[in-house]
Amino acid sequence: MRRAAFCAGAGLAALLPLAASAAEELPLLPPYVAAYEPQSVDERGMWMMADEQEKLWALSELRVDDEELNAYVERVLCETVGKDRCSGVRIHILNVPAFNATMSPNGAMTVWSGLLLRVRTEAQLAAVLGHEFAHFEMRHSLKGFEQRRSASDASAWLGVLGGFAQVNTGDAQVSLVGSIFQFNRGQETEADLLGLKYLAQSAYPSRAASEVWQQLMEESDATAFGRKIKKRDTYRAGFFDTHPTSLSRADYLLDQALAYNDAGDPRSKEHYEAIQKHLPKFLADQVKLNDFNGTEYILSGIAGTTGWTGELLHARAELFAARGNPRDLITSTTLYLQAMDAGYRPPETLRGLGLSLVKSGKRSEGARYLEDYLAILPDAPDAAIIKMYVPK
Amino acid sequence: MLGRLISHLLVLSAALALPFAAAAQEKTGSKDGFSLQQGTVRIALLEPRILVGEQSTGGMFEPNADWTEQARENLEQELTAALGSVGNEVVRLNLNVTPEADSLRRYNYLFGAVAGSVVEYQFFPGNRLPTKKQEKSFEWTVGPGLRDVAALDGFDYVLMIRTKDAYGSTGRKALQIVGLLAGVGVTSGEHVGMAGLVDVKTGDVVWLNADLQMGGDPRTPEGAAKRVSQLLEGFPGMEPVKP
Repeated sequence: MRRAAFCAGAGLAALLPLAASAAEELPLLPPYVAAYEPQSVDERGMWMMADEQEKLWALSELRVDDEELNAYVERVLCETVGKDRCSGVRIHILNVPAFNATMSPNGAMTVWSGLLLRVRTEAQLAAVLGHEFAHFEMRHSLKGFEQRRSASDASAWLGVLGGFAQVNTGDAQVSLVGSIFQFNRGQETEADLLGLKYLAQSAYPSRAASEVWQQLMEESDATAFGRKIKKRDTYRAGFFDTHPTSLSRADYLLDQALAYNDAGDPRSKEHYEAIQKHLPKFLADQVKLNDFNGTEYILSGIAGTTGWTGELLHARAELFAARGNPRDLITSTTLYLQAMDAGYRPPETLRGLGLSLVKSGKRSEGARYLEDYLAILPDAPDAAIIKMYVPK
Repeated sequence: MLGRLISHLLVLSAALALPFAAAAQEKTGSKDGFSLQQGTVRIALLEPRILVGEQSTGGMFEPNADWTEQARENLEQELTAALGSVGNEVVRLNLNVTPEADSLRRYNYLFGAVAGSVVEYQFFPGNRLPTKKQEKSFEWTVGPGLRDVAALDGFDYVLMIRTKDAYGSTGRKALQIVGLLAGVGVTSGEHVGMAGLVDVKTGDVVWLNADLQMGGDPRTPEGAAKRVSQLLEGFPGMEPVKP
């Protein structure tokens, strides 16, 4: 069965160059084997562990248990890599407010909420999903495992034999450690480039892949500025970096995308419609990260597409209220009121507005909003502490 | 994408700091005053968590699906045989058909974490937490939430079992021998076994057997029998094995 599928794939690959004269720039995808089963002892062992890990994700408290959102991410993956490929993948969305997605050797993919919040178009999401799928297709977990084992084996021998011969093997050990990280960076670049091929073949524009890394750099610059630390946009990766730097990825992905010169609708509005229901939760988690400038950057990025909606105004208000300087409380009060004007008035907005007013010295005015909050959520976990601000 | 960094660091620590043999330590404990009379309680056995693999020369764990499957079959068989004679009724809960299996799986993992802490902070006398220094105290719990799991209605205790074996590869053994000559301590193999009885009403761990170097090779029926007898050694309410 497997051999037949492979031959069909190879046959296609042999045929395609004939047909490709019309669109020379379109890249050729490698032949794909559906329903792959692990082969070697190592690979089957890794799949066993991955299966167990996947069961844990399924029952994790962090899992976003929403069929619609899952269907959305799955659709984007399928439109990127094609129906036959995407059917080998199960997607688990996890509530983690950081930019990441992971791929297991058995086809389990995790997509973190922080990723869904940061990408601004379906095409950008497709770029990341395609990258992760490329790891899966090229069986990177297995190769990485084998490489780490060889390096750590050699390192262990060096340690023992060096002790035997009374020779300092420190330099050789360090270069073995370095080889592990270097190998990993090599895999990431490989996955970037295959991911870009999927994107170029899909209806999405491949330029989106470079945009993802440009935005990440801008965000980390904003974070660094806010925290008064040094910016970290270097072109060369450091010794312990598991990935190439964002700058070099943005650069080589843009170069290649320009070579493909493909076009398409990145579908921005559709992305925000798909995550709309979860946006308040994603934003609330982001605000709690205590990253004022980075969060401001994300908020204005979203507002660039959707305009300043009530959800965004509320999140921005929470951001200022959390920083809490006297001037911030004036800003947050204004923003909460604007959010309510825009029709967004969940209990959290009433609470935030009430607290900002109370802390700015307008105690009786603030208490009115806090009373409203308590009337809607009498059993809120913070009810007892909010009651302290309400005169009896 | 960043997620693999942790595994890298683990590999590095395994590769660079060759572990020395662990010091002798205690292997069993039970809650003060706890005892069981024969034929008085019902015990639920959760699907044991079994994992078998190899240890690479550098100390990495290499999971092995075939060995794990073999060990699972052997251990399950030996457990069924052994638990028939512990003096109280033991029912095995199959998590694939139990409603609330998710909740029970979580408790099995939580039990693993608690048992790991017992080994680390109580069984090894040199590393006891200040609150665990009293001779007789054995106060460990997975929390009172266990009583809300409907699948455990009618049971008084849950028996949880976890094993992980990593057999030293040929390279690891060779390294160990050369290390011996070179004066560098290298351990080969890891054989963790944990069996614990948890009170359904309180969540307290009332009896625990946990050892980082258990005997018996669960890949063979004889080894599995030896492993099970070690796991259940001193099981509350069981008649001591007659020679």
